[in-house]
Amino acid sequence: MGDLEAWLEEGYQRSFRTACLILGNRYDAEEAVQEAFLRAWKFRASLASGTDFKPWLYRVVVNTCNSKLRQEIPHRDRRAAEQDLAGVSNIDDNPGRIALSQDIVKALQDLPLHLRVVVVLRYYADLSEREIATAIGRRQGTVKSRLHEARRRLAEHPALRTETNGDSGDSDDSTTASEVLR
Amino acid sequence: MTMLDEDVLTDALRDAAEAIEIPDGAAERILSAAQPPAPKPRSSHRRFLIPRGGRGRMILVAAALVLVAGGVTLPLLATGSNPPKTVAAGPSPAGSTVPSPTVVPSLGSAGSAASSTNGAASTPAIPSTPVTVPSLPPGSVGQSAKVEAKGSVSLTIGDGKLDSAMTKLTNLVASSGGFVASSQEQVTPGQSGTPSVGTIVLQVPEPSFTSLLSQVQQVGHATSVATTSTDVTGQYVDLQARITALEASRQQYLTIMTQASSIGDILAVQSQLDSLQTQIEQLQGQLNVLNSETTYGTLTVSLTEAGQRPVPPPPPRSGISSAWHDGVGGFVSGFEWVVRVAGPTLFALLCLAALLVLGRFAWRATRRRML
Repeated sequence: MGDLEAWLEEGYQRSFRTACLILGNRYDAEEAVQEAFLRAWKFRASLASGTDFKPWLYRVVVNTCNSKLRQEIPHRDRRAAEQDLAGVSNIDDNPGRIALSQDIVKALQDLPLHLRVVVVLRYYADLSEREIATAIGRRQGTVKSRLHEARRRLAEHPALRTETNGDSGDSDDSTTASEVLR
Repeated sequence: MTMLDEDVLTDALRDAAEAIEIPDGAAERILSAAQPPAPKPRSSHRRFLIPRGGRGRMILVAAALVLVAGGVTLPLLATGSNPPKTVAAGPSPAGSTVPSPTVVPSLGSAGSAASSTNGAASTPAIPSTPVTVPSLPPGSVGQSAKVEAKGSVSLTIGDGKLDSAMTKLTNLVASSGGFVASSQEQVTPGQSGTPSVGTIVLQVPEPSFTSLLSQVQQVGHATSVATTSTDVTGQYVDLQARITALEASRQQYLTIMTQASSIGDILAVQSQLDSLQTQIEQLQGQLNVLNSETTYGTLTVSLTEAGQRPVPPPPPRSGISSAWHDGVGGFVSGFEWVVRVAGPTLFALLCLAALLVLGRFAWRATRRRML
C-alpha cells in the first residue's frame, strides 16, 4: 500500500482537477478518479519499466472519464447544480480574471470530448504532445491537430467573444482582447 | 485565423482548477478500497480447469472454434480414402441364432476359396480352403444341431462362357444331391460394351454345402464370397415343444367332446378344438420350413463375363465440332474446379473471420482490462 499512498500524494489532486475539467462535475470526477487509481493500482504490473508513470496514469484517468461519460452520465438525471464547475471559483483578487476563467471553463464544456481532453491535458496537466499521445492512445500528429482545432473553437465560442468584447474597454481587467485572441 | 492564446488558456484553466476544492478523505477512501479483501473460509477447495471471467470465455470460444474446424476438416480429409470393405465372421456358436456373414471382396486369383472360421477377421484374399461350417454340438434338449446355411458367390468368367458356366454349376449341384432353385441370364449383344450376367440359386443338402461352395469357386474367378450360418436348434425345439403341448390339449378336448351331452357344450368344445388345430397346423408349417431350410443350404451364384467388350471408337470429329466439344469440356472442367475450390475457400474465410472477431474481442477486452 505504500506505493499507492505515494501515488495518491503525488497525483491525486491534479488527477481530480483534470477529471473535473473533463467531466465538468466534482461528484463524477471524484468517482472517476477513485476508480482510476484503483484500476491503475490493480494493473500496476502492466506499467513496463522505463515507461513514464505520468502519462500512463493520465491515460487511466482519461479512459475512466470516457467510460463514465459513455455509460453512466447519459442515463442519470441532471447533476446537482452546486457540483457543476461553472459555479465554482475562489479567485478573489481579480474579477476580470475570474470572469475569463469561468467563460473558458464554460466554453471548454461545450467542446467535444476528444478536444476537451487534449486541451485539459495540455494546458492544465502540462503534458507534452508526446505524453498526450501516449495518454489518449493516438499519434502525436493527431494530438497537434486536435489542439489546434480546440483553440480555434474556443476562440470562436460566444462566451469568449463577449468576454473579450465587453472587457476591452475595462482598464481594471488585466486580460485584454488582444492578449486572449492572437 | 483567430486562435485562443495558449498562455491565457493555461492561466485560465489553472485558475479554474485551483478553485476546485479537493474532497476530504478521498485518498483514504481509495486506500481502504484498495485493501485486499479478507480471504473467505472455504469449506471445499474447488479449482476450475477453465478460469472464470473473460479469459475463460475466450478459452471456451477458442476450443469451440477448434472443435468446429476439426469436425469440418476431418470428414473432408477422409473423403478421399476408401471405406473398409471386409467383414468376416464364422458360423454362430451353438445355441446362438445370430447370423454371421462372411464377405471377402476384391479377390485374387481364380479358384481361390473363402474360409470362414469362428471369429475370424477379414483377409485380403480368399484362402485356399473352402468355407467350413463346423458341426455344432447337440442341443441341450437332446436335439441334433439345426443349422441354416446360406451363401453367395460372385464369379467372373471368361467372355462368352456364361452358358457353359451355368451348365457346369447345374451339374455340380446335381452331383451333390441338390437342385437349381432358380436361374436367370442376361445376355447382351457383343458390341454393346455391357458384359453378360447371370444368377443361379442352388439348393444343396446341408452336409454338402461347403464342398459345393468350394467347387463353385473353381468355375470362375471369385470376386466375393459371403456365407451365413445360423443355428436354429433352439427355435426348432421350441416349435416341437409347443406342438406337443397343443396336441396334448387337443387330445383332452377330444375326450371332453365324447362326454359332452348338450349341443352348447359340443359347440364350445368344437370351437376350442378348431382353434387348437389351426395353431398346430401353423406351428407345423413353421417346423417344416425350418426343416427344409436346415436340410438344404442355399447358395446364390452371380456370374459376370470378364472384361468389357471394346466399344468401337466414335467417328473422328470435324475441326469445328472438335473445338466445340473441347470448349464445352473446358467450361465444365472450369466450373467443376470453381465448385471444388469454393468449399475449402469458404471454410478458410469463415475460420479467418472467426479468428478476426475473436482477436478483436480479445484485444478490446485486454485493452479495457489493462487500463
